[in-house]
Amino acid sequence: MTSDAVPGTREPFDPTDVTWTPVSSRLVGARLTVTAIVLAPILVLLVLLAVLVGAAWLWAFPAVVVLLVLWILWLVPRQVRALAYAERADDLLVRRGIMFRSLVVVPYGRMQYVDVNAGPIARKFGIASVQLHTASSATSASIEGLPPHEAARLRDRMASRGEARLAGL
Amino acid sequence: MTSTPETPSTHSAPEPPRSAPDVDGVSDEDVTGWRRMHPVTPALKGWKVLVAVLAIGWFQVGENIEQAIDLLHGPAFLALIGGILLIGLIGFGYSAIAWRVTRFAVTDEAVHLRTGILFRQQRQARLDRLQAVDVVQPLLARLVGLAELKLEVAGGSGSAVSLAFLREADAEALRAELLALSAGLQRPGSVPVAPPADGAEADAPAPVAPVPFEVAPERQVYELPMGRLVRATLRSGAVPVLLLVAAGAITLAVVSRDISAAFVLVAPLFAGVTFVWSRINQGANFRAAISPDGIRLRHGLTEARAQTVPPGRVQAIRLRQGPLWRGPDWWRVEINVAGYGQGDQQQRDTVLHPVATRDEAMTALWLVLPDLGVQDPTELVTAALTGRDDDGGFTPAPRRARWVDPVGWRRHGVRVTERALVTRSGRIWRSVDVVPHERTQSLGLEQGPIQRRLGLASFVLHSTPGPVSPRVNHLDAAVAAELLDEQAERARNARATATPEQWMRAVGAPTPAVPNPVPTTAPAGEVPGAGSTVPTGPTTAPAGEVPGAGSTGSPVPPAAGADG
Repeated sequence: MTSDAVPGTREPFDPTDVTWTPVSSRLVGARLTVTAIVLAPILVLLVLLAVLVGAAWLWAFPAVVVLLVLWILWLVPRQVRALAYAERADDLLVRRGIMFRSLVVVPYGRMQYVDVNAGPIARKFGIASVQLHTASSATSASIEGLPPHEAARLRDRMASRGEARLAGL
Repeated sequence: MTSTPETPSTHSAPEPPRSAPDVDGVSDEDVTGWRRMHPVTPALKGWKVLVAVLAIGWFQVGENIEQAIDLLHGPAFLALIGGILLIGLIGFGYSAIAWRVTRFAVTDEAVHLRTGILFRQQRQARLDRLQAVDVVQPLLARLVGLAELKLEVAGGSGSAVSLAFLREADAEALRAELLALSAGLQRPGSVPVAPPADGAEADAPAPVAPVPFEVAPERQVYELPMGRLVRATLRSGAVPVLLLVAAGAITLAVVSRDISAAFVLVAPLFAGVTFVWSRINQGANFRAAISPDGIRLRHGLTEARAQTVPPGRVQAIRLRQGPLWRGPDWWRVEINVAGYGQGDQQQRDTVLHPVATRDEAMTALWLVLPDLGVQDPTELVTAALTGRDDDGGFTPAPRRARWVDPVGWRRHGVRVTERALVTRSGRIWRSVDVVPHERTQSLGLEQGPIQRRLGLASFVLHSTPGPVSPRVNHLDAAVAAELLDEQAERARNARATATPEQWMRAVGAPTPAVPNPVPTTAPAGEVPGAGSTVPTGPTTAPAGEVPGAGSTGSPVPPAAGADG
């Protein structure tokens, strides 16, 4: 296609001097549970409809939902595998995505507050999420799927580092 | 209903950051000097209730006015008048009670405000976190010589402290006081907390100022002639659309031989006219001045606003130009200031210059960033505004980026100087963003599937909410990754040497002399209004210090690894 399409000499989303910590694989279970809760009633309803009406073409709708489920079953483990974070001396890196990749660098000194969230399903699976907030609303640095003790450790660490490096806005 | 100062009030003030030094040592009872707003306030505020109710009523009956009038004979009419009077009475009564319980006080560290009739609210805004101070005069208040004082602290929407209404002179005196206190100057007569740096404050007028702080001297830098504003607004993108809509309406009416067909287009027409009017209304009499307190912006036709943005409070700056402004070379200059909210309000508050010529755009940029960190700022800005490829030392997007952006790929570019990051984009709608290194919040890198195949990535810089959201699309992936690393490092170093929140603490007291605002000839290291540049602490270097003093260790290469 192009003669000048030189692939990057170095992987931009994988800095060399960084060790990535992946999130817990239990996040896969949590996300799939949420999907099941949303899609299962829809699937049941559509199948019921097809059975009751008896028209063959009505089976197309449950088929679409099944395809969607298969796609999600393939997608979610990939997404979770791609989600990772790394603590450096002065900032935190969060990496996500395979198809659409993003990498966010949040300096500790810019941290305004840290949220730790755990919904009922996440608690069942024994995970929590940590979200970092800076003065910018564009900073989208949330790490889902952390074991609760790790989430608490990260939160305290962020808070203390933020304090040490505070520089207003 | 009386207000007892001892009543425990709900503390809904924005929480100060956990790590900030505690100012709560000043508890509510210790605060003295509670003041009230001007007694005419309820009369000005009560109107709003009446107007709102009348407007709602008008829209309700708007459809069938004739029927409504028919209904309003005899007793019904009297009932209506009575109802309006009652609503008016309630409105004014409520405002009067609200006025009675509203008080404010200014201490050395914070502004305290108590409001609320049923739900008491006490708000405490820390002065060292002050982001901007506005004096606002709506039309009615202007007629009677009153003004509203608004303090922006960076607490998200609804965090502003509004003191309405005060006598105009009082509002201005209070503004001077707040700015001086938040700059770290000592109130005359009080014991200085930190020992003053002798060299810096020996001959400074501030410590011996009379009890009301002196209003800082200011010098006007530019003003916008009304003619240019009107011409520029007529050339903005909305007007051609408006004309098209009008033409469409007429055609429709002619073709269908039915005038009512044209009414379909009344709504867009109305929206367009509103837009043009608001642009002209907000940009009228636009003047910018510089003072030791920071940048002063005055504007507004019906509602007069005077904004003051202290030094170092501008987070990012953007210069924009649409295709119709290219001929006269006009630019719209906008800024991000933490605390100036989003939406409608943002449109109005975040404009540094509504229609700037090239020179004025340079001046506006200089107001925010006196030192761009390069030898020849004119050349840099010119290259940023109109250049493409690697003009002016910019790192451009590589040639293969044309597959993802065939129109604008030659304009995507980034240049890193000693003091700021300059990004450039847009071929038809040109846009240039400048972010000082120390104002970087966080950084990001993004890559979609096509970009990945081409070995490209987009670099994103996160700034506080506002019109400026800097990003460079489609850089070479390796270049973008390197930029991310280096920029994180640069931002860290710049933060360590940045001016403290209380800006006068670093640069000493103001001298009456204001530097001559000529952008191209301004000495590189000068801070507006900074008489002397003696740092009071080891870690606080003044913003205008010559680059190299503890900032980025090595000189920044003009193009960080340009592609081959």
